[in-house]
Parts: sequence; structure tokens; C-alpha cells
Amino acid sequence: MIEVTGLTKTYGKKRGIDRISFTIEDGEIVGFLGPNGAGKTTTMNIITGYLSANSGAARINGIDILEDPVAAKKHIGYLPEQPPLYLDMTVDEYLNFIYDLKRVTDFKRRSHIDEIAQLVGIKDHMKRLIRNLSKGYKQRAGLAQALIGNPEVLILDEPTVGLDPKQIIEIRNVIKTLGKNRTIILSTHILQEVSAICERVLVINNGQLVADDKPENLSALITGDRKLTVRVAGPRENVRRILRDVEGVQFADVTVQAERGSYDFLVEAKPNIDIRKPMFAALARAGYPILQLKSMDLSLEDIFIKLVEEKKTSRKPAARPLNKPDIKLDLSEDIPGSALDLSSDISDDNSIPTTENKESD
Amino acid sequence: MSAILKRDLRAYFTSPLGYVFIAAYIIVMNGTFYLFNIASSTNSIKTVFSVMLYTLVIIVPILTMRTLSEDYKQRTDQLLLTSPVKPLGIVFGKFFAAYLVFVFSLALTLIYVIIISAFGKVNIPSVIGNYVAILGIAAVYISIGVFISSLTENQLIANISTIGVFALLLILDLLYNLIKVGWIRVVLYWLSIYRRYNTFILGVFSVADFVYYLSVAGIFIFMTVRMLEKKRWS
Repeated sequence: MIEVTGLTKTYGKKRGIDRISFTIEDGEIVGFLGPNGAGKTTTMNIITGYLSANSGAARINGIDILEDPVAAKKHIGYLPEQPPLYLDMTVDEYLNFIYDLKRVTDFKRRSHIDEIAQLVGIKDHMKRLIRNLSKGYKQRAGLAQALIGNPEVLILDEPTVGLDPKQIIEIRNVIKTLGKNRTIILSTHILQEVSAICERVLVINNGQLVADDKPENLSALITGDRKLTVRVAGPRENVRRILRDVEGVQFADVTVQAERGSYDFLVEAKPNIDIRKPMFAALARAGYPILQLKSMDLSLEDIFIKLVEEKKTSRKPAARPLNKPDIKLDLSEDIPGSALDLSSDISDDNSIPTTENKESD
Repeated sequence: MSAILKRDLRAYFTSPLGYVFIAAYIIVMNGTFYLFNIASSTNSIKTVFSVMLYTLVIIVPILTMRTLSEDYKQRTDQLLLTSPVKPLGIVFGKFFAAYLVFVFSLALTLIYVIIISAFGKVNIPSVIGNYVAILGIAAVYISIGVFISSLTENQLIANISTIGVFALLLILDLLYNLIKVGWIRVVLYWLSIYRRYNTFILGVFSVADFVYYLSVAGIFIFMTVRMLEKKRWS
């Protein structure tokens, strides 16, 4: 179990994180979502005892990380953003060193290390120098390091960075398997990762906790169910008219001419209505074939803009308790700027959080 | 601590550093021994120890320059500081790894004693005194080196600054000879690690001076621990 209360860390005058509080129960997998520089790494570094907060406390299984660091650290496996590897060792030597460093006694050395190497898929590279490993394998060696000693709490800072798509799926599965009997925090800025692994999401921006919710509530945003891009072969105006007449459609317009004689349309449904079937039927009746139909994925930036704006507006009238954000992550309103003009929406000028402050640890 | 000690000790010999240190040390020492003992047929090894003192100024930084700076650079300090090990354990592990490499090199010079004893009489108490003293002064050198390495993530800067600090200590020693003002001499005497060494070279085993060396080494180890702890508050 991880309990964090009122963590604040300042770097000079700049606030790294600001009064962050949350509790993670045993066996929970929690995603830490936020843009670069939001304070994810800082928070993780504080929980693991690498940094100290200016105020607030972090407790691991009830042990305060500042009061009894050695006992608290025994319960933690930590994979930092940059895996802490000794490049002059082989993977096998490295994992043996970690085994000694963590003073593991509950597991037999050889079988424990082999088991973990098997789990993260680095078994075939045990005799190679870490220096010579590719980024993906370095990441695995880092993950293996965190797992040695079978800690009850795992803290993983962007565990799938640098892996190829197949490896990402493998590692996600590993984390899911591990999560059955452990407490896991993993940070990421990939939305799909959160929906794939986590049971709960903490969204952090500019050092503050903006949302603490289940991914189901985020899923409306993640999958963008209500917004579809449809490519239809047929005359532009006719198709648009037909689309607008479909029951349940709130909005429909052309975005671009896709191929010769066909156009891409952005169609938005009214809440809780699946317009795909009636839309198909209507277009089929008119004899305009659908060439492509996909739901529109929203970028992380869109969600942040949404969350941050809600936070701003909600804060003004009455100060809400910071540690209990009750923002609902649904799509009941338009996300500003995301309707037609997709290109500009994803481009830099709108992605406020990413370009601002850099993580300074 | 023992895990870190083992790893660092191994690292000295999977990289050129350990070999460079031992080779440089042995070449200089053998040369000195040949010139001042064999070629001049004396049984006193005090020159060897006196040269050793100055040789260490140049080569100890090779041992200590990367103890902590390399960890900062590779971010492995993050691993060490989030492991269930106290900062003191980390520093001790690193310190003793470097120290053991030195002790091993020093052990190689025991052959001089054997050679001398084959051809003449060895002043055993004086030899033991010299060995103990050099072990003490090496602890001071290495603890200073480890401390300086904890200040930077650049090995080269660590190396050069360590040599610089040792040189400064030498200058203090020279000033001691030049300045006649009483109280300044007292201050300089307390800061001069070389001056105290002369007693040992002359064949007197001074417990006070040996304790002085251990205390100075202890102070620098303590300061290194503080540096590691301070990182958390940066």
C-alpha cells in the first residue's frame, strides 16, 4: 500500500509538485498520466526515497520513507526513467549484484534470477555486456532489476519507452501478471497504455493532481466513441445532407477530399447513440459506399486541455479540496478546437503542457 | 555495503583503471627501490616510502575519480539510493574497493623487504611502522578522492581537482618550513598530512599521528555521506 499526503517539492522558486495526495491499495495498478514536466518523475522519486519532499509524507506499507528509509525501500522495486544499469557488467552479473544489493534472502539466487529473466524476456542475453544491448533490452534489464526480491510495491517510470510494438505488448502483459498480487504505479504519457493495464488513473499536470478516476471514465475520451471519421465515395453535398439527416447525428461536415471522388467526413453523434448502423443504412440506400470508418482518437493533449480548463473554471467560484478532484471525464461538451481542424489541434500551439517547463530532476 | 564493494572492486579490473594504477605504482616503486637500495647498496627503505608518498598524490586520483561521479553520470546512484542500503554503506563500499586495490599494490612491495633481508639486516619495527603509516595516509588520500568524486559527475574534473587538493596540501607543508610565526605554524601543522609522515619515515611510530590520519579519513567519509544525503534535497 502506498499513502501519499500533501507532497510538495520546489526546485528553487519553481514548484515541482504541489500538495499531491493519494492512496493506493494493495493489488492496485495505477497509471500516472501526465505530459513531460508535469511532476510524475518527481513524485515517484519522492516515494522511492531518492528525493525528499519539502513537505508532506510518503508511506510504503505504513512505513514512512523518511523515518525508516531502509525498511521502506525493502518493499519497493523501482524502475527509473533511465534504467540504472552498470554498462560494464553482463546482465547476469548485474542481476546478481542487485540480488546482493537488496539482500534478498527469501528466494534462491539462481532460480530467482532465472525466473525474472524469463519473465521479462532477457534470458537469452544473460551473458552479454549491458553496454552492447539495444535500448529495448536495456529497458528489460532495468525492469528485471526492479523485480528482484519480489517487492510488493513496484514503481515503474515509463516502462515501455524504447520498446517496439511487440515488446510493448509483452511488457504490458508482464506488468498485468505482476499486478495480480502487487501494488504498481506506472507513469506514462500514452493513453492506450493506461486503458490497457491500469485499474485507476491519476492525471497530473503542472505539479498538481487534476484527476483521480477509473479508466472507464476516461475511455470515452480515449476511444472517442462519439466522433467518427467516415470516408464516402459520392458527391460532397449529397453525402453531407444524407449524413446530417441520419437519426442521432449532431454534426457532420467534410474535412478533406481523400481519394478521387470521395471525401472524408467528420461525424459527431449525440450522447449515448450509436450512429454507425443507421449511417451505413442511409448511405447504402443512397448508393454511396463507405470506404472507411473509424472512431477518432483523441490525443493526450486534448484531454489535458479539457481537464485543465475544467479545473480553472471550477476553481474560481469555490475552492475545491485539492486532493479530491471530482472532475468527470466525459465528452458532454466539445473539446475546444478539436472538431474540424485536426491538424492544428495536434500541433504544438495547442499542446500547452508539453512545451512548458521541463522536468528538472 | 559488501555488494557495492564487490562490484566496484570488480569494476577496477574489468576496466583499465585498476591495471593502470598498479602498473604506474609498481614501475615507480621498483625504479626507486633499484636506484636507492640496490644500486646504492643500503638497507634502509625510507626513501622508497618517501617517494611512495608523492607518487600516490598523482596516482590515487586514478582510483577515486570515478567512484561516485560515474554513478551520477550513469544514473546508477538512483539505484543505490533507492536500495535498502544506508548512504554510509554506499560510501564505505566504494571507499574500501579503492582501498583494497591500493592494499594489494602495497603488498607487492613486500618483496623489497624480502630482497633486503636476503642480503642484509632489516629494521623490522621501522618497516612495520612505515607500512602502517602509509596505510593510514592512503586512507586519507582515498577518502579525499572519494569525497571530491561525490561533488561532480565528470571523472576528469574529479581527477584534476583531487590532484589539485593534494598539491595544495603539499604547499601547506612547504609553507610550514618557511613561516616562522608561531600560531600559523600550529595551524599549518594540523593541516599538513605530509609533515606528520616524516616521523614515521624517521622510524618513530607515532600513535597520535596515526589516529590523526584515521580521523581525517573519517571526516571525509562523513562529508561524502552528507553529500549523498544532500542530493535528496537538491
